[in-house]
Amino acid sequence: MSALPRSYNPFAEDEEDDVVPAGPGGAGGADRQRYLQQEVLRRTAATADSTTRSLSLLYESERIGVAASEELVRQGEALKRTEQMVDKMDQDLKTSQRHINSIKSVWGGLVNYFKAKPPESKPEQNGAPEYYANSRLKEAMMFSKEQESKYQESHPNLRKLDNSDNDFNKADLDSSVQRDAYPKNQQLRAYHQKIDTNLDEMSSGLSRLKSLALGLQTEIEEQDDMLDRLTKKVETLDVNIKNTDRKVRQL
Amino acid sequence: MAAEKEAEAQRLLNEAERKVRGAQSFLGGLFGGSSRLEEAAECCTRAANLFKMAKNWSQAGAAFSRAAQLQLQLQSKHDAATNFVDAGNAFKKADPQEAVTCLLRAIEIYTDMGRFTIAARHHVAIAEIYESDLLDIEKAVAHYEQAADYYRGEESTSSANKCLLKVAAFAAQLEQFPRAIDIYEQVGSVAMDSPLLKYSAKEHFFRAALCHFCVDMLNAKLAVQRYEEMFPAFSDCRECKLIKKLLEAHEEQNVDAFTDAVKEFDSISRLDQWLTALLLRIKRSIQGDEQDLR
Repeated sequence: MSALPRSYNPFAEDEEDDVVPAGPGGAGGADRQRYLQQEVLRRTAATADSTTRSLSLLYESERIGVAASEELVRQGEALKRTEQMVDKMDQDLKTSQRHINSIKSVWGGLVNYFKAKPPESKPEQNGAPEYYANSRLKEAMMFSKEQESKYQESHPNLRKLDNSDNDFNKADLDSSVQRDAYPKNQQLRAYHQKIDTNLDEMSSGLSRLKSLALGLQTEIEEQDDMLDRLTKKVETLDVNIKNTDRKVRQL
Repeated sequence: MAAEKEAEAQRLLNEAERKVRGAQSFLGGLFGGSSRLEEAAECCTRAANLFKMAKNWSQAGAAFSRAAQLQLQLQSKHDAATNFVDAGNAFKKADPQEAVTCLLRAIEIYTDMGRFTIAARHHVAIAEIYESDLLDIEKAVAHYEQAADYYRGEESTSSANKCLLKVAAFAAQLEQFPRAIDIYEQVGSVAMDSPLLKYSAKEHFFRAALCHFCVDMLNAKLAVQRYEEMFPAFSDCRECKLIKKLLEAHEEQNVDAFTDAVKEFDSISRLDQWLTALLLRIKRSIQGDEQDLR
């Protein structure tokens, strides 16, 4: 926010500058002062509006991120289901292969009788990576929260705010010409407060967006792995189906 | 161009009918009737695709249905169901009621085979037709609920929740608030625990609280407290602050404060139509109370 330092400093400087020529350059000085105050007011109002707009954009992004995450979760479930079904199909194909063997020849049937039944393969350990991702995400969230509080303490803008507030008080006490500037000061203060609250909300919104994005990233990586596994399985399945088909035709 | 295709399609249909009649005759039954039926079904599908190309949706739908019936006779359920679904899709553009019938028949076949996920997906399709073309909200709600049940049976909780949320939105429109509240609270509490979904939990609690508000203000207050206990992050979000301001405005019977709070919220995040309708309802109840007092 480059506008912020500009609106803080000139006012503080102007207060101190105008205190000095209050006596001699009277009328011209007052005009210039009023002009500068109006300018500052205008700029602060523009800044406040800009922060409000940024805030609404942030919330919009958050809403889009939330919708994306819901879709992603649904997709993840669909992928899991697909993987289960592919595993089942593989099982079924193995069973049908055995049946074909027994049909083809008596010898094949005897071999089958002696061969152990193919064990029911357990479903892929899809649960384990999920739990791992959850804890990683929680750590990332806690970390980002800590960072946020540290950041706020050390933020230069916040420190400058304290300085210019002190300048405000000093200027008001010192000058006697500033009577009609009082309401403007309060209006300015109101604007500054609004900007501050907006900036706070923006920072919390941004941290939320960051955690959301991290969560999305974890989920997408997980689904990426799942897709790779699935592609491999489906390819083997395809080959198996073709083989079985050929064998059935030969019967 | 289109007329040509239509003529071709009509020819194919006639051929198919001839094959069917041939298959049903005594001699046809002796000499492999089923293969004739298969060919007839294939002719019907080809005809239907040609009708689709010519954009004659109702004829295409009819042709697909005929093919599906033939395949039912052939006991090939999968193909029959797929053809019914195609018929439904074709009818969607011409005759929504007929589309619903075809899709229902497809769902019957799928549930018979135990394929509940696909059946659920088609229930959602039917509900969408009721929502947009036929404008029968009650039936749409019934179908969304059925779809949600099937999805839950197949352990797809997020798809189930998606359908349930639509049910809740419609229920609130139809003023069946307790039902909507239950659904929103349930979905919200489930979402709270998931690392990815917890960002949408506040939205669900917000809607639940608004539904409580439509019923009774005291309920809303207790509900908001309960949600804050369950879900601490809820108290930080703007939606919660909006609800508290609205509760205050309602207590003081101050319509202006109410409108101001809503406008302020709207200036940052747009309120969608459902929320606006509900808020208007609450506002009218405040104004109604004012008039009663006078």
